[in-house]
Amino acid sequence: MEMIIAGLLDSLSPASLMFVFLGVAIGVLIGAIPGINGPMAIALFIPVTYYMSALTAIGFLVGLNKGAFFGGAVSAVLLRTPGTPEAAATSWDGYPLTQQGKGEKALRMALYSSVTGDFVSTVVLIAIASPLAAVALFMGPAEIFALISLALTVIAGIGTSSISRGLMAAAFGILVGLIGTEPVTALTRLTFDVYQLGSGLSLIPVAIGLLAFSEILLQLEKFTVKGGGKQTIHESSSNPEDRTLTFKEFFASGKTLIRGSMIGIGVGAMPGLGAPVASFMSYDQAMKRSKNKEEFGKGALEGIGASESANSAVVASSMIPLFVLGIPGNLAVAMLMGAFMIHGMQPGPLMFQENAQLMYGIYGSLLIASLFLLVIGRLGLRFFCKAVNIPAMILYPTVVFTCIMGAYLARSSMFDVGVMLAFGFIGYFMRKFDYSYVAFLIGFILAPEWERALQQVVIISEYDTYMFFQRPVAMGLMALTLFVIFRTCKLNIKSGRKKQVETAAAKAGQHKAD
Amino acid sequence: MTRIKRDSIAYLAIIGFCILMLTWGIPTYTPDYPGYGASPALVANVSVGIMMFMAGLSLLNIAVAVYMSKPMPVEESEFPEDMEEDAGFTQVGRVKLKHLASTMIPCILLVVAIEYIPYVFVSFIFLITFQYVIGSRNWIQLIVVSVILTAVLYIVMRYGFGVPIPGPQIF
Repeated sequence: MEMIIAGLLDSLSPASLMFVFLGVAIGVLIGAIPGINGPMAIALFIPVTYYMSALTAIGFLVGLNKGAFFGGAVSAVLLRTPGTPEAAATSWDGYPLTQQGKGEKALRMALYSSVTGDFVSTVVLIAIASPLAAVALFMGPAEIFALISLALTVIAGIGTSSISRGLMAAAFGILVGLIGTEPVTALTRLTFDVYQLGSGLSLIPVAIGLLAFSEILLQLEKFTVKGGGKQTIHESSSNPEDRTLTFKEFFASGKTLIRGSMIGIGVGAMPGLGAPVASFMSYDQAMKRSKNKEEFGKGALEGIGASESANSAVVASSMIPLFVLGIPGNLAVAMLMGAFMIHGMQPGPLMFQENAQLMYGIYGSLLIASLFLLVIGRLGLRFFCKAVNIPAMILYPTVVFTCIMGAYLARSSMFDVGVMLAFGFIGYFMRKFDYSYVAFLIGFILAPEWERALQQVVIISEYDTYMFFQRPVAMGLMALTLFVIFRTCKLNIKSGRKKQVETAAAKAGQHKAD
Repeated sequence: MTRIKRDSIAYLAIIGFCILMLTWGIPTYTPDYPGYGASPALVANVSVGIMMFMAGLSLLNIAVAVYMSKPMPVEESEFPEDMEEDAGFTQVGRVKLKHLASTMIPCILLVVAIEYIPYVFVSFIFLITFQYVIGSRNWIQLIVVSVILTAVLYIVMRYGFGVPIPGPQIF
């Protein structure tokens, strides 16, 4: 109990409050700019947190992530250009409302739904993470090894249309993650005689390169080839009723918000699915169960509520696998995991024993961030609306220069800037060739833990190859990993055959017409 | 070039990289087996093995489809235009080497030049060049943005975080 109170008091310290506030405000601003999302913002700002205490740093980054999730809805509603992938469903009903001059009403609905989903999810995280972590403590290295294998397999499917390319990316991430000091002999490995690689590649330049720099390379490509140009925002109606959201209008979507929050919590707690899935699932369910189905897609407040409550609920619930098992379920959490490691903590069930006070402090910061999101969103709505039209000629040089200096800040090393550029280059090709950079990054982060678990298994079992068969949970997890691979391959083959049949039918139809 | 050809070349390149790693990279740059635990090369070999196996499998899949003359889905038999919807993770499409080079070269030059030229000058020149490369022709904006960004980052690094400024010091 003392720990809980001490932790919560830590989260109420002026420095912590200030940085959580700043995190949320910057997050909303960044999320509102099309093309910059939460993980990218975290990657860019992790170097800044080097100089903060662990609680302040995590509170700031969590605030940034929460803010960016709502910020994505601003450009989705005003421009039909989702600032983040998960806000795509929000634009389906948000933009029609903007066209009707009700953009502000739509944004208010998005804000309140986001806060609802986020708050419910945070409460669930607080309630269940610690008891689940206590159970997870019974897991040994064999289970951890099997679990990371399963997580890598599930995550390999994110961000690519092919699981084989996802697995290649994850394996490449593991290989890159092995560079540096080997855990058993403590000798350097795969350094190719480059002395700067002796301590391994730092997460920050790799993440900035893959997430931010490669994204900017792609956006600049579009900008310079197709030409930029300001998008115009529809004027708001002068009728006050069209600009405000009444209690009645908000509570009419109450059931949808709760359902959306639950979907978000469920999806977020499972590694590999992510907020876009939650958002689309929730929207689909809301539409199917609504009495006003015909309004969906034309400006239904319920549609905005469904999407926003679900995607915001993912933010906190995706930390459940991180806190319980030490496994990041999505990219934003992978970046947060990196931040934990930079501040000397290994996420996982032991955190509740080793850093209990800090954990309760983080819980406090999570709740405070929800409150700040409501306040900042409510007061700064009009300001954030202007952020969506920030000129590209100012935005792109700023982001590129921030990437370069952010990579430098981590270890005050220009070598890291070179690493960032190299991974920006690799990330560009990975995206163009449809290789999952998400799987790469998560493989890179989990590689040391995966290898450590394997070494422990080998040493404890004294080279007994049947070790996994003696541990039923580990065996079950390995079987599940194989099942996931086979099932995904089967589905890929099935969809490939379907496409072939469709192509053949289309060609036959064309011949007939000729 | 069709997407299927490009993918085949990529798979071949991956297989080539894996062979290089398995025959030279890993054996040369991995410590000797200490006599306990697993070999330091084990996980590296397994991950390269997975890459090679998957690339080989994908290549075989393409070869079987081509030699059995199966009808290819349009997006694989013709090269796709860049995806319009890019809010997701990937943006599969053509590689625009000219654009890539024009964006990367100023950044690489910055990294090289900052060893010899003070941060303030090199950053200012970099930012002007970069904005020009991406199409900005408003000289007042070019200069104002460059000065502000250089100054802000300088102040943040020097006085905010107290980290050493890269390159030779003039202040």
